[in-house]
Amino acid sequence: MSKEQAYYVPDGTYWPIIGSIGVATLFVGFANQMHGVEWGGSVMALGFAITVFMMFGWFGQVVSESTNGIYNSQVDRSFRWGMSWFIFSEVMFFAAFFGALFYARQLSVPWLGGADNNIYTPELWNGFKAGWDTVAFTTPGTTLQSGIEMSVPTQLVNTWGLPALNTLLLLLSGVTLTFAHHALRAGHRNQIIGWLVATIALGSAFLGFQVMEYGHAYYDGLKLTSGIYGSTFYMLTGFHGFHVTVGVIMLTVILYRIQKGHFTVDNHFGFEGVAWYWHFVDVVWLGLFIFVYWL
Amino acid sequence: MTEVLIVIVIIAILTALGFGLVGMIKGGKAGSNRMFKSLVTRVTLSVVLFLFVMFAGYMGWIEPNNVMVDAPVVQK
Amino acid sequence: MTTATTIEATHDDHHHGPEKGLMRWVKTTNHKDIGSLYMWFAFTMLLVGGAFAMGIRAELLQPGLQLMEPQFFNQLTTMHGLIMVFGAIMPAFVGLGNWLIPMMVGAPDMALPRMNNWSFWILPFAGGILLSTFFMEGGAPAFGWTFYAPLSTTFAPDSTDFFIFAVHLLGFSSIMGAINIIATVLNMRAPEMKLMDMPLFVWTWLITSFLLIGAMPVLAGAVTMMLTDRNFGTAFFDATGGGDPVLFQHIFWFFGHPEVYIMILPAFGVVSHIIPTFARKPLFGYSSMVYATASIAFLSYIVWAHHMFLTGMPVAGELYFMYATMLIAVPTGVKVFNWISTMWRGSMTFEAPMLWAVSFVFLFTIGGFSGLMLGIAPADIQYHDTYFVVAHFHYVLVTGALWSIIAATFYWLPKWTGKMYNEKLAKIHFWWAVISVNVLFFPQHFLGLAGMPRRIPDYSLQFADFNFISSIGGFAFGASFILLTYIVIDCIRNGKPASSRPWEGAKGLEWTLEPKAQYHSFNTPPSRKLIKAESQHS
Repeated sequence: MSKEQAYYVPDGTYWPIIGSIGVATLFVGFANQMHGVEWGGSVMALGFAITVFMMFGWFGQVVSESTNGIYNSQVDRSFRWGMSWFIFSEVMFFAAFFGALFYARQLSVPWLGGADNNIYTPELWNGFKAGWDTVAFTTPGTTLQSGIEMSVPTQLVNTWGLPALNTLLLLLSGVTLTFAHHALRAGHRNQIIGWLVATIALGSAFLGFQVMEYGHAYYDGLKLTSGIYGSTFYMLTGFHGFHVTVGVIMLTVILYRIQKGHFTVDNHFGFEGVAWYWHFVDVVWLGLFIFVYWL
Repeated sequence: MTEVLIVIVIIAILTALGFGLVGMIKGGKAGSNRMFKSLVTRVTLSVVLFLFVMFAGYMGWIEPNNVMVDAPVVQK
Repeated sequence: MTTATTIEATHDDHHHGPEKGLMRWVKTTNHKDIGSLYMWFAFTMLLVGGAFAMGIRAELLQPGLQLMEPQFFNQLTTMHGLIMVFGAIMPAFVGLGNWLIPMMVGAPDMALPRMNNWSFWILPFAGGILLSTFFMEGGAPAFGWTFYAPLSTTFAPDSTDFFIFAVHLLGFSSIMGAINIIATVLNMRAPEMKLMDMPLFVWTWLITSFLLIGAMPVLAGAVTMMLTDRNFGTAFFDATGGGDPVLFQHIFWFFGHPEVYIMILPAFGVVSHIIPTFARKPLFGYSSMVYATASIAFLSYIVWAHHMFLTGMPVAGELYFMYATMLIAVPTGVKVFNWISTMWRGSMTFEAPMLWAVSFVFLFTIGGFSGLMLGIAPADIQYHDTYFVVAHFHYVLVTGALWSIIAATFYWLPKWTGKMYNEKLAKIHFWWAVISVNVLFFPQHFLGLAGMPRRIPDYSLQFADFNFISSIGGFAFGASFILLTYIVIDCIRNGKPASSRPWEGAKGLEWTLEPKAQYHSFNTPPSRKLIKAESQHS
C-alpha cells in the first residue's frame, strides 16, 4: 500500500452477504409462517440467528478496528453522519404511524360519524357516533375485511396506572443517562458504570411493565383486532417497545465497552450514538404518552 | 389551550433533540459540548412536561383517552 | 488537508488491485466494483421489466383478449411497474452515484464502503423474492404498482406478503445507499472543494438522498400496515374497524411523490454535465440550478395528494394541492431554460451522449407539461386513471430518467472502461430508440383523452388504431435494447483505447484521472487550483 493513502478503505468483507442471506431467510420464513407453512417458523428463527450473528460479527470487527487505532477522525465523522441519518429514517418510520393516528382521529373517524356533511353516513354507518374509543361502535362478532373477528374491549388501559408509571421510568432513565454522559465527559469511570447500570435497569423495568400492560389490555379484550384504536395503540407502542429493547441491548454493549476502557473523555462516539438513540426513543415515548393516552 | 401549550413544549423538546444531533455530527470538543447541553435541555423539558401533563390531568384540564364513551353493545 | 495521516492497518501488505474471481464481487468494498454491480443488476432488471412490457403491448395490439387471462395481464402491469421503479431506475442511479460521486468530489472511495456492499447485495435477494411471486399459488401481485388498499389487502393473493417483504428489503437498500452518499459528499469531499464548487450530479444526488431518507421509511410504514391488516387483524385501511382505505393513499403518496423526484433529480444532474460539454460552454446558471433542485425537493413533500383528486377530498384540500403542484413548474422551468441557455450560441456537436441529453430536454418537457395538465384538479377529473396518465409518466420516466441513464452510460463509458464505444452504431441506436419511443407513447395521450382507462387487457373498438400503432412502437423500442447491449459489450471487449478526456469540452475531476479510472480514484485530495479549473462555474 502506498504511503500517501490518506483515507481508510477497508478490505473486502463477507458480513454484508451473510446479512443479506440472514434477512432474506428471516422474511421468507416469516411469510411462510403466516401462511401456515410447517417449516416457516424454523426458517424464520434460522434467519434471525444469521442476522444476529452478522450484527455481532460486523459490529465486533468495527469495534476492534476502532480500538486498534485504525480509524482516523474522518472515519469517525462518517460514522456520525451515518448514525444520525439512520436515526432520521427511524423518525420518518414512526412519523408514518403517528400520521395514521392523527389522520384517523382528526379526519377519518369524524367522517365516519358524519362530519363535513358526509352524505354516506346514514347509509353505511347508521347511528354511529364518532369518538376516539371507536372500538365501541362494533357489536361483538363483527369481522374485519381480512376475515378476522374484531375484539371489543370491556375497558381501555388506565392512563393513570402503568402508562404514567412507565413514562416516569423512561424519563428517569433519560436523566440517569445524562448523568452517565456527564460522568464520561468528566472522566469518572465508576460513576459512568453506576449511572449506566441504572439506565439499563430502568429501561428493562419499562419493558417489564409494558409486557404487564399488554397482558392486562389483552385480558380486557383490547387487541390488535380492536379496530383503528387497537391498531394504532399496539403498532405504536409495539414498535416503540422494540426500539427500547434494541436500545437496552446497545446500552449493555456500551457498558461492556466502558468496562473494557474503549472510550476516552474526548473520543466516545459509540457512547454518544447510543445515548442519542436512547434520548430519541425516550422522546418518542413522551409523544406516545401524550398523543395516544391523553390528547 | 392546554393542548396547544403541550404541543409547543413537544416541539421545543424535538428541537433540543435535533440540536443534540447536530452537535453529535459535528464531533470534537465543541460538538460534544453542544450535544450534552442540548440533551440536558431536552431531559429537563421532558420532565417538566410530564409533571405538567399529570397536573393538568389531575386538575381536569385535559381528559385521558381511557374512558369508553359509548359502552359496547354486549350481547351475552 | 484535514486528515492526511498514514494508516497502519493489518492489511497493509496486501496487493492493491481487485481480487480475482467471483468472490471479488461478493466481498468488494470498492465503489467502482459496486457501481458496476448496480449497473448490471439494473440493466438485467430493465430487460426483465421490458419483457413484461412486451407482454402488455402484445396483448393490447388488438382489441379482445388475445394472449392471456386478465388476471395475468394485471400481474404483468404490476410487476412491470415495480421492477422498473425499484429494480431498474433507482439501482441504476445509485450505480451511477457510486461510480461517479467519489471521482467527482476527489475522494478515493465511498465513506462507508462495507455498508455500500450491503446496500447492493440486498438487491438480488429482494428482486428474487419479488420475481418468485409469479410462481406462487394465486400468482404475482396484480393490484398495480401503487398497491392501493383494499386491492392489496382484502383482495390480494397470498404472494402479497412476499411482495411486502421485498419492498422492505429494497427500502433498507435505498436508505443505506442514501446515507452513504450523504456521508461521502459531506465528509469525503476534497478539503479544498466548497459546496458550491460541487458538480451538479453530486448536488442532485445529495438532495435526492435526503428525499430517499425521508420517503423510504414512510413506504416501509405503509407496507407494514398492509402486512398487519392482512394477517393480524389491524384496521388501518379497513372502514369496518374505523380505518380508511384513503389513508393508504395518503401514506403511499407521501412516499410516492418524493419518489418520482428521486428518479428524476439525478437525471437533471446528468444532463447538466453533458450539455455544457458538447455545447463547449460553461453551464448557464449554476447556482440557480442548485437552488431549483432544492426547491423541487422541498415542494415534492407537500404536493402528494394531487394523485388523489378523485378520492373525495375537501375542496380546500384540492385547491391547496393543485396550487402547490403548479409551483413545481417554476424551478423545473428554471432548469429547462438554463439548459437551453447553455446551448445558446454554443459550438455544439452531437455525439451520442449529447443526442440523448438534448432529446431528454425536449421529451421530458413534454412529460412535464402533461404533468401540469394532470395537476389541474378539475381537468384531472377527465384524465384520471386514463392512458393519458400512462403517457405522462412514461414521458418523464422513460424519456426522462431512463434517457439520462443511457446518456450517462455513453458519456462516462470511456472513463469506466478506458475504451471508446462505436459512435456510428450508437447514433443508429439513438435514432431507432427516439423514434420508436414516440411511436410507442405519443398515441397514448390521444387514447387517454378519448377515455381509455389504464390497466385493462381489453378495450372498445374505437381505441384499436392507436393501440396498434403504440404496440408496434413498443416492439421496435424493445428491440433497440438488443443493439444497446451489443454496443456496450462491444465497447468493453473491442473498443479502441480512449484518452483520459475523450470529450473536448468536458470538465470535472473525473476526467483528470487515467483513461480507465484507477481502482482507487484520489489517494491524495486534488488541489484548489485543479478544482477551480474543473468546476462547472462560468
